Amino acid sequence: MKQFFICLFLLLFCSFTTRAQDAVAATEQLIADIFEQYAAESEDAIDYESFFEDLMYCAQHPINLNQSTREELDKLPFLSDIQVENILAYVYQNGKLQTIYELQLVEGLDMTDIRRMLAFVNVGEAVDLTPKIYWHDVMKYGKNGLFFRVDKGLETKEGYQFLPEEDPNSTEANSKSYLGNSFYHSLRYNFHFKDRIQLGFTAEKDAGEQFWGAAHKGYDFYSFHAQLNNVGKFKTLVAGDFRANFGQGLVLHPEFGMGKSSYVLNVTPRNSGLKKFSSTDESNFFRGAGATVRLGKCDLSAFYSNKMIDGDTVSGAFQTIIKTGYHRTTDELSKKHTVNQQIVGGNLTYTFSNFQLGFTAVHTELDNHLEPDKSVYNYFYFSGNKQTTGGIFYRMRWHKLNLFGETAMTDNSSMATINGFSFSPLSPVSLVVLHRYYSPEYDTFYASSFSETSRINNESGFYLGAEVRPFRKWKMAAYADSYRFPWPKYGIDAPSIGTDYLFQADFAAKRNIAMFWRFKFEEKQTNLSTSGAVMPVLVTLQKTSLRYQLTYIQGDFSFKNVLEGNLSRQGETAWTYGIIACQDISYSFPKIPLKIDFRYQFFDAVDYENRFYSCEKDVLYAFSIPMYFGLGSRYYLNLEYDLTKRLSIWFKIAQTVYADDRELLSSGNEAILGNRKTDARLLIKWEF
Amino acid sequence: MKRIIPFLVLCFTYQCLRAQLSTILPTSTSIANTSVSNTKEWMSFQNPATLGYIENTEIGTQYENRYLISELSTKSIQLAVPTNLLNAGLSFSHFGYSLYHEMMIGAGFARNFSDKFAMGLQFNYYTAYFVASNSYRGAFLPQMGLSVKFSSNFSLGFHTFNPFQANIQTEFVTKRLPSVVSFGTEYFFSPEFVWRTQVDKELSSNYRFASGFEYQMLQQLSVKLGAYGSDYLVPCLGFGFVIRRFTLNLNCELHPVLGLNTLAGIKYCFKK
Repeated sequence: MKQFFICLFLLLFCSFTTRAQDAVAATEQLIADIFEQYAAESEDAIDYESFFEDLMYCAQHPINLNQSTREELDKLPFLSDIQVENILAYVYQNGKLQTIYELQLVEGLDMTDIRRMLAFVNVGEAVDLTPKIYWHDVMKYGKNGLFFRVDKGLETKEGYQFLPEEDPNSTEANSKSYLGNSFYHSLRYNFHFKDRIQLGFTAEKDAGEQFWGAAHKGYDFYSFHAQLNNVGKFKTLVAGDFRANFGQGLVLHPEFGMGKSSYVLNVTPRNSGLKKFSSTDESNFFRGAGATVRLGKCDLSAFYSNKMIDGDTVSGAFQTIIKTGYHRTTDELSKKHTVNQQIVGGNLTYTFSNFQLGFTAVHTELDNHLEPDKSVYNYFYFSGNKQTTGGIFYRMRWHKLNLFGETAMTDNSSMATINGFSFSPLSPVSLVVLHRYYSPEYDTFYASSFSETSRINNESGFYLGAEVRPFRKWKMAAYADSYRFPWPKYGIDAPSIGTDYLFQADFAAKRNIAMFWRFKFEEKQTNLSTSGAVMPVLVTLQKTSLRYQLTYIQGDFSFKNVLEGNLSRQGETAWTYGIIACQDISYSFPKIPLKIDFRYQFFDAVDYENRFYSCEKDVLYAFSIPMYFGLGSRYYLNLEYDLTKRLSIWFKIAQTVYADDRELLSSGNEAILGNRKTDARLLIKWEF
Repeated sequence: MKRIIPFLVLCFTYQCLRAQLSTILPTSTSIANTSVSNTKEWMSFQNPATLGYIENTEIGTQYENRYLISELSTKSIQLAVPTNLLNAGLSFSHFGYSLYHEMMIGAGFARNFSDKFAMGLQFNYYTAYFVASNSYRGAFLPQMGLSVKFSSNFSLGFHTFNPFQANIQTEFVTKRLPSVVSFGTEYFFSPEFVWRTQVDKELSSNYRFASGFEYQMLQQLSVKLGAYGSDYLVPCLGFGFVIRRFTLNLNCELHPVLGLNTLAGIKYCFKK
């Protein structure tokens, strides 16, 4: 026993920090910061796991700028189209970069961009990217990673209050209560050999789902993937779970799509082709196989997917595809995997020096009829069991203009089109213009592109974005977006219009101090909630917000302050306000491989329309963006400790306390008695 | 009973009108209670990070007489000791009188990191006397603070008192204890002239916005002028006197409804 404690002590306190681990931690933090810029303006759940994995993969296999292609640089989401073009043009005109700091000579790149790039790029001699793969090299140099995560809410939720064995007669109550325990846990394994081979396995059980019992045995969700790159004629080969992203996303883009954010120039998704899927998102992926073949200047991709999806199936028909991935109750389990979805698709992309043209087609078949419960707002939603969608996309550089766009059509002859251009008239000024039109009848399964809402249909709009670097250390970014919904939307019972404006000023005072001010104004129409009129009555909903964020680093400490206020009103009612303020403190111990993050946050949002979304640091592969509404405070402690060079643990505990006299949090099965909500999370990473 | 009823009425009126910090927290000698970013002085139950900046052992006491009513007075004493590793502080505060009173004792620890920033943590035990049950009830209330010097003349302070919103539960009522979050700035126009601003939010009260100037007219005399606004705008005036190792502070505030609030504090600084 004594030896055990001595070993444990040595393990905990005498493990050493290495520079490599510091660099990995810095990259992880950098990725979280980049993601925060995107997610800050989004109310949709964005798949952080895929975002993190893709960029972490780039960090492990840096892009050689002297040999890079547009497709490779497109993997860095913080670079705008103009910046990518400028990097490629610089290397083409001036030859190889001698040092990474030569990037300062590239137009449109400032030190902030270059510092971000450093983790993901290098400069070196051109090498053969497709050497033969030898089995013994794969075994010797391949890297394995195993991740195990457990989450637990410390307060008992309503769904766990009634167990079936306690009340066997109450079938109605039992069908709605959770079958499993309140632990969330997931297991993830991945293997990669250079940038050529990727294999992996993911299993997940959500809180409330049964892990081992009469209703279900094992994990609720399993996923497997394999990807090979640059093997003979094949550019990419995928099997198992994968994603396919082509063009501007009007036909196929199940992944997170770019939209309105403080990266005002990055407005359309990148054409990343076929790639493996290893996230715990249980709906936005394909299951089957696919391949991309390189034929001269053409890339030809084809894939087939066959998977079961969730739906409330009755007599061969269902109303909606359930994408939550929750199978916690008897009701939810009865809807699991009730519909078979088959997808076959392909893409042909022709790339010339400054011109790219592509064609994408996808056909989807369901073994049950999708028949939404029709009302006015969803009158044009897809119904049936077969759909074919095709689209043409393009991208070209003409003088200083980068033109891009895509036009797609479904088999009911409905159309969606997005077109735009970006250009840089002067080195410190970059502009982007974008127009989109999505017909109300256009409704396809895996589209994701620039849009006010998460659905690509029933919208037209015009977007202008500008980024200006007027002085050293300063960057100004702004966008204006005017849009129209020609048909009623959910919660808006008549055609409506809206506008969005954003202005952000970034100031990097010193290397260790940075700050920004972000002003946002939004005006859109919504139903008048108090109206009893037969005909729909719309009122204007106005929201304005101002955010100030300051980050500073002092030695091993780093701090962040955020202060944000917003005002909102519906029609001519009085303005309601919301305020949020937070203080972050992070500390990396210099002598032991331990990192601590602490946050205290106060929020006061009078009305639901004044709600806030605030990004939080979390365990690896996780990123929390909780929503705040009401009056209260939240705090968390996040620990990261490298037990050995290969074994690391993360632990987070967070609590939200409301001070507005509420005695019940949330509702239904998620209801908690009291005014506190506490969550604990643990992740163990083992690399070998 | 004759004393209790007027006292409770007074307390109720007072709590309604005075939308600022709880009575158990002594008002600081920084004008308009703008202490969160004050890098020159530490005050009991205020931002514990500022404890990190003290260089000498010091002891002090303070008496705050609210609106010339002795029953609404807060008395406090404080002791601060600097060490090589951490600076430590002890504080005690008392509010009320024999039939109703609250007390709080706290031990704080803070460290100055290369004079760039300081962090502090204080552990307080709060207790109140409940006449209905003739008993004391208490709770642990932590507080934590941060003070960052961005340059020699500009700094920023953050402080939270009772961040976990601990309350006292009796058989009959839940006594809500103050949970306060404060942000503030300090800017030295010159070594003699400083401007401080602060925003406080006690979670169940209105926001409090405060700002004040402090001018060291002579080596022995400083003048302080400021105001804070919550439900009402309250002007504040103060004087500071330095006599050898003693520092004497006299502050007053004029509430438009409740009247004059006065505060006197004396502090002695030991040699190093």
